[in-house]
Amino acid sequence: MIWSREDLKLKTVLKLAASAALCLGALAHPAWAEDNIVKIGVVAAESGSFVSAGHTLPAGVGLAVKQINDAGGFKVGGKTYKLEMVKRDDRTDIATAIAATQELVRDVKVQAIFGSETHDFTLAMAKITQPAKIIHFAGNSTLAKILNPDSVKPGGEDHYLFQSEPQEFQRSGSTARGVLSLLEPLLGFKPRKSVMIVGNDATGQFLSSYYYKALKAEGQDVPDIIFYPPDTTDFSPFLTRAKSLNPDIIHFWYNGDSTLTALPQALELGAAKSYFLFGVDPGIWKEKQLSADVPVAMSCVPVCWGESSNPKAKAYFEAYFAAGAPHGVTSSVSLLYHDYVHFLVEAWQKADSFDPDKTVEALLSLHHQGVVSDDLTFNPTHQVTHATEVCAAAPGGAISCAMQQPPAEAPKS
Amino acid sequence: MNAGSALKPLRSLLPVLVILALIALVPLFSPSNRFLSLAISAGINVIALYGLSVLFGQTGILSMGHAALVGVSAYAAAILARDFGVGFWVALPVAAVASAIFAMIVGVPSLRVGGHHFVIMTFAFGQLLAIVLTNGGDYTGAATGLDIAGPVTLFGADVTELTRYYLMVVAFVTVAAVASWAIIHSSYGRTLRAIRENEKLAASLGINVGRHKIGAFVVSGVFAGVSGVLLAYFLGHISPSQFSSFPSIYLALMVMIGGARLIEGPLAGGILVAFLPEVLNLDPVQSRIVYGICLIAVIMLLPDGLIGGIVRALRGLFAGKAKQEAERDAAPSEARR
Repeated sequence: MIWSREDLKLKTVLKLAASAALCLGALAHPAWAEDNIVKIGVVAAESGSFVSAGHTLPAGVGLAVKQINDAGGFKVGGKTYKLEMVKRDDRTDIATAIAATQELVRDVKVQAIFGSETHDFTLAMAKITQPAKIIHFAGNSTLAKILNPDSVKPGGEDHYLFQSEPQEFQRSGSTARGVLSLLEPLLGFKPRKSVMIVGNDATGQFLSSYYYKALKAEGQDVPDIIFYPPDTTDFSPFLTRAKSLNPDIIHFWYNGDSTLTALPQALELGAAKSYFLFGVDPGIWKEKQLSADVPVAMSCVPVCWGESSNPKAKAYFEAYFAAGAPHGVTSSVSLLYHDYVHFLVEAWQKADSFDPDKTVEALLSLHHQGVVSDDLTFNPTHQVTHATEVCAAAPGGAISCAMQQPPAEAPKS
Repeated sequence: MNAGSALKPLRSLLPVLVILALIALVPLFSPSNRFLSLAISAGINVIALYGLSVLFGQTGILSMGHAALVGVSAYAAAILARDFGVGFWVALPVAAVASAIFAMIVGVPSLRVGGHHFVIMTFAFGQLLAIVLTNGGDYTGAATGLDIAGPVTLFGADVTELTRYYLMVVAFVTVAAVASWAIIHSSYGRTLRAIRENEKLAASLGINVGRHKIGAFVVSGVFAGVSGVLLAYFLGHISPSQFSSFPSIYLALMVMIGGARLIEGPLAGGILVAFLPEVLNLDPVQSRIVYGICLIAVIMLLPDGLIGGIVRALRGLFAGKAKQEAERDAAPSEARR
C-alpha cells in the first residue's frame, strides 16, 4: 500500500493525538490518586553539622509511611488514604529550614510536619506551622520553653505543636538513675562524685541544666559542669580540669560524635573511674570495637539498637536498617518520629477527619501502642512521657541494658 | 560642569535600580514560597553587605565580625519587644543605633591596629558577643535564644505575609543601595577612598584617619542594624549561633565574591551565595568547597569581585570593538592615500 503525502500527514496527526491522549490519561491517573494521598513533611539536617541525628528523621518517618501504606493505608470519612512523605534537607542552616517549612506548608500543603532535630530551628519553624494550623511534631525537649497551658489551648499560639520527646526532667531523671544503678555494681562501690562535660550550644546548655539537677536529686556531688565549644577535637584541657576534681563518673553530654572523640582521650588520661556517654548506642560501641578498662555507661534516645531490653526494638531496628538507614550513633532518635506517624494516623482515624482541631483533640485523648512504649500519651501541654534505655559496658566487654522509668515530678532545685 | 558629568554618578546607580525593580516584580510570576523565603534571607544579608562594602570597599577595612553587629540589633529588637512592647518601626531606628554604638565600641580599640590585626580583633569581638549571648541567662535566652512576637504593620496592613515582607525587604535593599551610592559619590566617600589608598598621604592632607575609620565602621553598623531587625522579625526566633564567627565569614565572603567597590557587588554576592547551593543542589560541605574556590579565583583573577570582573570584561570587549571599528574606518582612507 502506498501512502500519499496527505495520508502521511493525517497519520502523523493521528499518532500525535493518540500520544497526547495516552499522556493525558497517564497524567490523569496521578491526579485521581492524589485525592487519596495525604502528604506529611519532614524537615531535617540531611547534611551539615547536625547530620548525625538529622538523617534519622526521614528514615524513621519513611519507614512508618511504608508500613502504613503496605498495610493498605488508612480510612478517614469512609475513604482509604495513603501517606506520602515529602522531605527537605535544612542543611543545618536556619534560612534553609525556614524556606523548607514555608515550602512544605504553603506550596506542598502538607497535613503535618516532623522536625527538625535542631532546637532553635524548631522554635522558628513553629512560627510558620502554628498560624497555618499544621500539626507539628518535634523531638526537642526545648519545646518545654514554649509549651504551656496558655500556648496550647484552642486558639493558643502553639495549639498544633507536639513534643515527641519526654520532658527533660523526665529524660534526665531516668537517665541519671539508670547510669548510677548500672555503674554501681560494675564499680564495686556507690559513686558519689560526678563531673559533666557538655557541648556549649543551645541543646547542651538546656539539657545539662536538667541533668545536673537530676544527678543532685540522686545524691551526687557535682562540683563542676565543664562546657566545651562545639566541634572541639582536643578535649585535653577539659579532661584535665575534670580529672583534677577526682570524679567517680565523667558524664559526656550530648553530641555522640564529639563524645566518641573525647572518650579515647579521657581513657588515655585516666580522667575518671567510670564514664557515661549520652546518646551513644551500644551498637556503635560494638561496631567500632571500642573497649575500656573502666565501666562505661551509654544511653539511647530513647531505645538502643545495638543491645536492647525492649522486645519491640529488635524488630523495629531490623526493619529500619533493612530500609537502608545507616548504623548511626543516634539511630534511635528515629523513634521520636516513627511512632508519631502511626499515632497521627490513629488520631485521624479516631477523629474521622483531617481537621487540625479535631486531630489535636484525638491526639490528646489517645493511648497509642508504639515501639518505645505500649502506652504513648500526650499530657495537657502536648508532651509525651516514656522510659529511656540505659546500658553499661563492663571492662570485660559485656553489655547490660535496662529501661528506666521517668520520675513523676521534677526535682526541686 | 555640564549636565552630562553631573548625571554620570547617577548612571552608575541606574543598573542597580533597574535590577531591583525587576526583583520587585518577581511575585508577579507566582514564585514558590521557598524561593521567596530564601530571597528574603538573601535580601536581609544584602542590606548588611552594603554596610560592609562601605567599610571594606571604600575604606579598605575588612571586618570578620559583621554578623555580630547584625546580632546586636536583632537582640535589641527582641528585647525591646519583650520588655517594652516596642514594635518593628520603633525598634528599627533604635536597634540600628544600638548596632552603630556597638560598632563604635568595637571600632575604637580595634582600629588602633591595622590590617590583619584588625581582622582578628573584629573576629574576636564577634565570638565574644556569641559567648555573651550564649551565657546571658534568661535575659538573652541563653543558647536557645529569644522569640520575637508581634506582626509588622505598614499603614495598617500586615506585612508579615511572605510576599509583602519580600517587597518590604526589596524596598530596604533599595534604600541601602541608594545610601551606599550616595556615600560613594559624596566627599565623605572620596575621603574614605583616600584613606583606603594611602593612609599616610591622607593624614598628611589633614584627614583625621582614625575618626573617619571609626565613622565608616559606625555607618556599616547602621546598615547591619537594619538588617538585624528585619531578620529577627522574619524568623520570629533568634539564637546566638546565627551571629557567631561563621555567619561573619560568610558575609565577608559574599562581599568579596560580589565585589565591594561597585554598587552592584553586594547585591550579586548576596544573591549568589544564597542561591548557589539551591540551584546546584550543593550540601554545606560542597558549598564551602565551591565558595573557597570562588574566593581564590576572585582574589587571584578578579580583585574587584565578580561584578568588577564582568564590568571590566564588558569594557574590554566594547573598547576592543571600538578599536576594531576605528581601525576598519581608518584602513580605506589609508588605502586611498
